[in-house]
Amino acid sequence: MSQQRVVVTGLGVVSSIGTGVAEYAAGLRAGRSGARPISVFDTGGFAHDIGCEVVGFDPTRWITEQPVEDLGRAAQFSVAAARLAVEDAGLTDFGRAMVCLGTTDGGGDAGERIAESVVRGGFPARELARRVPAAALPVAVARELRLSDVDCTTVATACAAGNYAIGNGFDAIASGDVDVALCGGADAMCRMTFTGFYRLGAVDPQRCRPFDVDRAGILTGEGAGVLVLEPLDAAVARGARIYAEVLGYGLNCDAGHPVAPDRDSVADCMRLALADAGRTAADVDLISAHGTGTKANDAIECGAIHDVFGAAAPRTVSVKSMLGHTMGAASALSAIACAVAIAEGFVPPTINHVETDPACAIDCVPNTAVEADLRVVQNNALAFGGNNSVVLFGRHG
Amino acid sequence: MTGIVITAWSALTPFGHGRAAFADGVRAGRPVDPVSTSDEWGTADACLVPDFDIVEQLGRKGTSSMDRTSALAVATLRGLQRDEDGSHAPDPRTGVVLGTTSGSAATQFAFTRDSLTRRKPYFVNPAQMPFALMNSAAAQCAMWHGLAGPNSTIAAGRGAATAVLRYAGRLLRTGRASGVFAGAVEEHSGARELLEQGQRLGEASGMFFLQTADAGNRPVLAEVVALTTRIGEPRRALAESLRQALAGCRPADVWGLASVGAPELSEVEHEAAVEVLGQRVGTVVQPGQLVGDTGAASGVLGVAALLALAEVDASARGRLAVTTSVDRDGTAGCVVLRLAGSSHQARGD
Repeated sequence: MSQQRVVVTGLGVVSSIGTGVAEYAAGLRAGRSGARPISVFDTGGFAHDIGCEVVGFDPTRWITEQPVEDLGRAAQFSVAAARLAVEDAGLTDFGRAMVCLGTTDGGGDAGERIAESVVRGGFPARELARRVPAAALPVAVARELRLSDVDCTTVATACAAGNYAIGNGFDAIASGDVDVALCGGADAMCRMTFTGFYRLGAVDPQRCRPFDVDRAGILTGEGAGVLVLEPLDAAVARGARIYAEVLGYGLNCDAGHPVAPDRDSVADCMRLALADAGRTAADVDLISAHGTGTKANDAIECGAIHDVFGAAAPRTVSVKSMLGHTMGAASALSAIACAVAIAEGFVPPTINHVETDPACAIDCVPNTAVEADLRVVQNNALAFGGNNSVVLFGRHG
Repeated sequence: MTGIVITAWSALTPFGHGRAAFADGVRAGRPVDPVSTSDEWGTADACLVPDFDIVEQLGRKGTSSMDRTSALAVATLRGLQRDEDGSHAPDPRTGVVLGTTSGSAATQFAFTRDSLTRRKPYFVNPAQMPFALMNSAAAQCAMWHGLAGPNSTIAAGRGAATAVLRYAGRLLRTGRASGVFAGAVEEHSGARELLEQGQRLGEASGMFFLQTADAGNRPVLAEVVALTTRIGEPRRALAESLRQALAGCRPADVWGLASVGAPELSEVEHEAAVEVLGQRVGTVVQPGQLVGDTGAASGVLGVAALLALAEVDASARGRLAVTTSVDRDGTAGCVVLRLAGSSHQARGD
């Protein structure tokens, strides 16, 4: 099969630390925190209620081609991020298009409201059921952009879904199936994920502290990240700005424990990505880790990194320290951080960091961004169910 | 041609457990009698997979919090391997790709109910959480059957057959997977009745084994010729999707048609098919009329129904089988298969 090289030409972000790639990049550089008390659902009865919520989001600013009330919050974020990405790419002609988005909960927040209505003896509002199906995320984007001949795909591989979507877009462009791919992920804060992680003792009461010896868990977050992928030749021909090249990716499944990551399997996934990209461990300048801030994840992930990269592992940062765990959006927002880091030449910090856990033993670039010349950057994503995905980005030119 | 072939299939449906039960039911064309169901979320008549108790099917280990969607998928994959006589032991790059609408609504709603009604909002069952996520069924298939290759869940509603075959085909053509168990699952529950009001619901799980055409000497049931999707006004979107998928094919070559769209759009679906194919297609099947609206599983059942009917119809050999779908969100799509060309291949034996 003739393979096209694939590049990133546009970035769109809705996040707790900024909307739009410029604001997001400035937030990453400044080490901004999106943590604040959760307001989107009732947190009464929980001992703490900090999350990384998107505030001040006005869906009517982005959604003009369909009734706003038909779309759930994650679909609204998806539309906003996609429009921002398309604008950033200066894209006007889509040709054969793909919209591929990852999500953990889809319209699950609307499902929760239906369940709550019934539990409280009422009747759910009619529009809520329309918002539930996860397939609505890319379909809403396609409608807004008036795309008809389009591969709309929702990848629902939980917390690694963004990387899965980017991988699918990479293959679709590389093999010539589509001309443009809008890929990424989106999720809205919901009660279920907060409650579930809280019950597992995996929500930090105050701030997300990946790799820190005193880390106490995730903060739940929300948002959307969309990357525009195009063939290198087409991007050059239309004079597009190129943030980075997608070099390759790896996918595997632990086929083991439902929630605990498997060190060997995670290491294998990184090796698959390196082999797919035709690179070796020594080529990697930076890892944007899954880095949730839970005791188990960070130790196991760093162990796997050392298995692949040896004692002198590359700098390994977690943007979840700033954004919280945005679930299906997480690896998409992390991928956008990788592309920005390569293009602008800096490493986003791991904030809230006091003392690195010896069980992690990596340079997590604590608290302050550093300037760096980055050629190859690796984006890790792990999920419940053992769904692992690792994407490699490289500097173009 | 996509270069992807279907070498085996199985299903758990309201007709019963396994491929033969579904094939017999489709050939007889006799609708399943619905049963009365009732839980805390609703009461409805629905078409259920009979005699499917999770613990009876899978044992006690690892099943105490398991959702019905995952259990149906795990059991279907087990049946598919049994039907195949163990002739294709999975290798480390064998993958799983499953379609869904929203995962197990019953599990998600139960989790929310517990959080809202118990003494503390966090007095929920933590073991239930992974089963409330949409990727549970595919992940459980990997765990139960030791499948460490790419493992993906595609949320696509009634368009799941097209979406799953397209995604899985890409994994195979790029060499990321050596073979893929690809299918879709939809459970029935009162929670799902709240999300899909106004029609007779059914539940089912259907699964294919897919490989690239050059992957070896396994008997081939059909080759995937084309997968297309469109978004827009449903009739026009489906007609355009069909025209694109059948470009280069002779309409007279189409032997069979399965329609699996949303029930209230079945007339639209029929009109679009007639617009493109004319009235000449001899074999037409609507799985929804037989086993109820099985949501994400409906497209896989459409493809499986055509394979089952083709097995006993000599005129099907080497011809095209088309499965169409339209959904409420304006998405339309189709799957075009080229059925095996000889009786030996068509039986898959």
